[in-house]
Amino acid sequence: MSQDSTLPDYKRQSPEVARRFAELKERPVKLDVRSLGKTFDSAKGPVTALNDISFQCHRREMMGVIGASGCGKSTLIRILAGLETPSQGEVLLEGNAVTGPGPDRGMVFQSYTLFPWLTVKKNVMFGLEMTGNSMTAAEREARQWIELVGLSKFENSYPHELSGGMKQRVAIARALANRPKILLMDEPFGALDAQTRASMQAYLLEIWRHIDLTVLFITHDLDEAVYLADRILVLKPNPGEVLEMIEVPVARPRSADQFHDPEFLATKDRLEELIHPKVQTEKIELPIVRMTEVGDDVE
Amino acid sequence: MPSAKPKGPSPFSHWFAIGKPLSPRSRTVLTIFSFIIPLALWSAVSYLPFLWHPDIKLTISAEREGITTIYTRGDHLSREFFPQFEAGVQAENQAVFEARESGEELTPGRRKNLKTLRHISAWGLGNGYLTPNEAKDDKLIYQLWARAAGGDFGTSPKLSPENIKVVKDNWIRIQHIGDKFSSRALPNEALLKLVPQGKRSNPVYLPAPHEVVIAGYYDLFTEQRDPDDPSMWQRALHSMKIVFGGFLLAALVGVPLAVLCGTYDFFSRIFEPFIDFFRYLPAPAFSTLLVAIFLAHDAPKIALVFVGTFFQLVLVVANTTREIDRSLIEASQTLGADQRNILFRVVVPGILPQLYNDLRILLGWAWTWLVIAELIGVKSGLTEFIETQGRWRNFDRVFPVIFLIGFIGFFTDQILSWLRVFLFKWTGETPNAFSRLVASSVSAGPRWFQREVLDQRLDPLAERRNRK
Repeated sequence: MSQDSTLPDYKRQSPEVARRFAELKERPVKLDVRSLGKTFDSAKGPVTALNDISFQCHRREMMGVIGASGCGKSTLIRILAGLETPSQGEVLLEGNAVTGPGPDRGMVFQSYTLFPWLTVKKNVMFGLEMTGNSMTAAEREARQWIELVGLSKFENSYPHELSGGMKQRVAIARALANRPKILLMDEPFGALDAQTRASMQAYLLEIWRHIDLTVLFITHDLDEAVYLADRILVLKPNPGEVLEMIEVPVARPRSADQFHDPEFLATKDRLEELIHPKVQTEKIELPIVRMTEVGDDVE
Repeated sequence: MPSAKPKGPSPFSHWFAIGKPLSPRSRTVLTIFSFIIPLALWSAVSYLPFLWHPDIKLTISAEREGITTIYTRGDHLSREFFPQFEAGVQAENQAVFEARESGEELTPGRRKNLKTLRHISAWGLGNGYLTPNEAKDDKLIYQLWARAAGGDFGTSPKLSPENIKVVKDNWIRIQHIGDKFSSRALPNEALLKLVPQGKRSNPVYLPAPHEVVIAGYYDLFTEQRDPDDPSMWQRALHSMKIVFGGFLLAALVGVPLAVLCGTYDFFSRIFEPFIDFFRYLPAPAFSTLLVAIFLAHDAPKIALVFVGTFFQLVLVVANTTREIDRSLIEASQTLGADQRNILFRVVVPGILPQLYNDLRILLGWAWTWLVIAELIGVKSGLTEFIETQGRWRNFDRVFPVIFLIGFIGFFTDQILSWLRVFLFKWTGETPNAFSRLVASSVSAGPRWFQREVLDQRLDPLAERRNRK
């Protein structure tokens, strides 16, 4: 445990942050997950991916889900999206049970999943047309969302002509165009390079500040989780269970300057501790092969 | 220790760089060579007599007494047998000489002598002194003897010294007949036979390139020899009708079925196992059955192409459909798409480029059924020509038709592959150089028409633009 003694306790919140959390918890519950469980049948018998997951997500909350690989975080978000059915428990969205995929829950996938045969504009229009808007209404609406993500110049481009970050912005616009009650994001920036990822994070925060949006995102990037989220749901693997719900004590509005704030580092430290409890220091045994010339000893 | 020479890059090293694509120019060169090499081999074998040439192709033939097998001009004899044949005729001539010397001339009769004289027609035909229609006209044949006796020995074939002697000897005995030729005026006493002549050649199944080109030119671009026969282009159209008919039917039924199989496990389980079994049944095995069902004309042929293509098509396209990116379907579900929209607005457009490719390959597959299809029932199309000419061993006429089938298939494929890039711009692919070349040469005519005629006449600004 390499706890830096100078770091404050991640549970200590400044009055301002505490007030924000109190406010947040008074807002209506958007997403209510009740003792959710998922068991898969495999050749070696049933495997429990998720066990007794319960949490609530409030309106305009930005919630992160983090956990070591195999903790079932992807399964969780797929159940929330309705792409998988839970084995136990239920998911309520504004009090209604989720039974299948639907336009009230926008989803952004790591692999962009833009329709390659449609232009940017048509991609954004897709959901609008599916939900019964006329072509003209859909087009008008789509234009606004494309403008919001700053891609007006590219509305007639095909996905293969866009960079990864641009594709993901289109995917976000497409998901938001249906005005979903909650935006689900499955490692949305995981495939992007570090620089693009940072700008996309800023972008998401910016959008989130301007519209009434509840977000639940999965990530494996600790910085991203602390930087974006109000609260972070930490899962443990085998089976996937809730370890802790962390309230991030970092003040809003957030900016990249806060990456080195003591609260930020303390939260990150705590996450590190939860996700990688034991640092493995196995000694690497190399086979005895002489790979250097004699007398070329680096030590 | 000998110091190793510093190795510079050899001039050939870039041709054989492992795992590296060649430059576009090198590729073009190799593409051209891939066609030139077989042509060069064919030409070498055809025109260099020492390479192979196991046969003698007769330019002048003869009939032998008491031997029923008759060889005529153009027949191929093996190089081992030809000397025997030649010696046989020489022996017969020798017998005539010996009989003359002994004072008791052989008298085979006028009819035999007329036959003997007629053998010069091969020489006349070869040199172009006769047309094939005139070859049986005895007056003209008599004139040929006159011509040869007058010192014109021809060029292809040129009479051998031995045959010149034969001509002179015979001429002495028939020159009295004169212009008013009548076979009654022929002597009863034996005339000499022309000794067979020939040139070294390849077997009849391997005609030389120029023979194939000439035969192809006549069959494709001049009036057909028998006016009752369909022209080669009519035959080609007929063959294309069979191939495209069978293929389009298979695609029309097969593609929707395959898309359903690929999308819904239900359809996959209920159709695919049987189709998977059925595709191992060889399509030609159904030919008699198909003729019984669809009678003798085009219907059973189209049905055979259908049977040969359909089952493969369903399996291939179903697999293509299954390979669509599942996350696209999931994404559309989270955007509110229902079953119908997922099928028609996600699955179908999503598989379209690969489906197009599959169909291109299956069209090639359909072509392979053409020959068998056209042989069942009433023979028709290009195959009927190949079959008939092949039986007559006119292989120089067979090859152009085989190549024609290849060209039609190849060019359709290249054009389709070039079109694909324009149909599916969103894939971001570019056409390969060769199909671009093929397509641009094919579309040159229409493009010229558009540029020179449509744009000029119909574009009101064109005139003003041109004035500037």
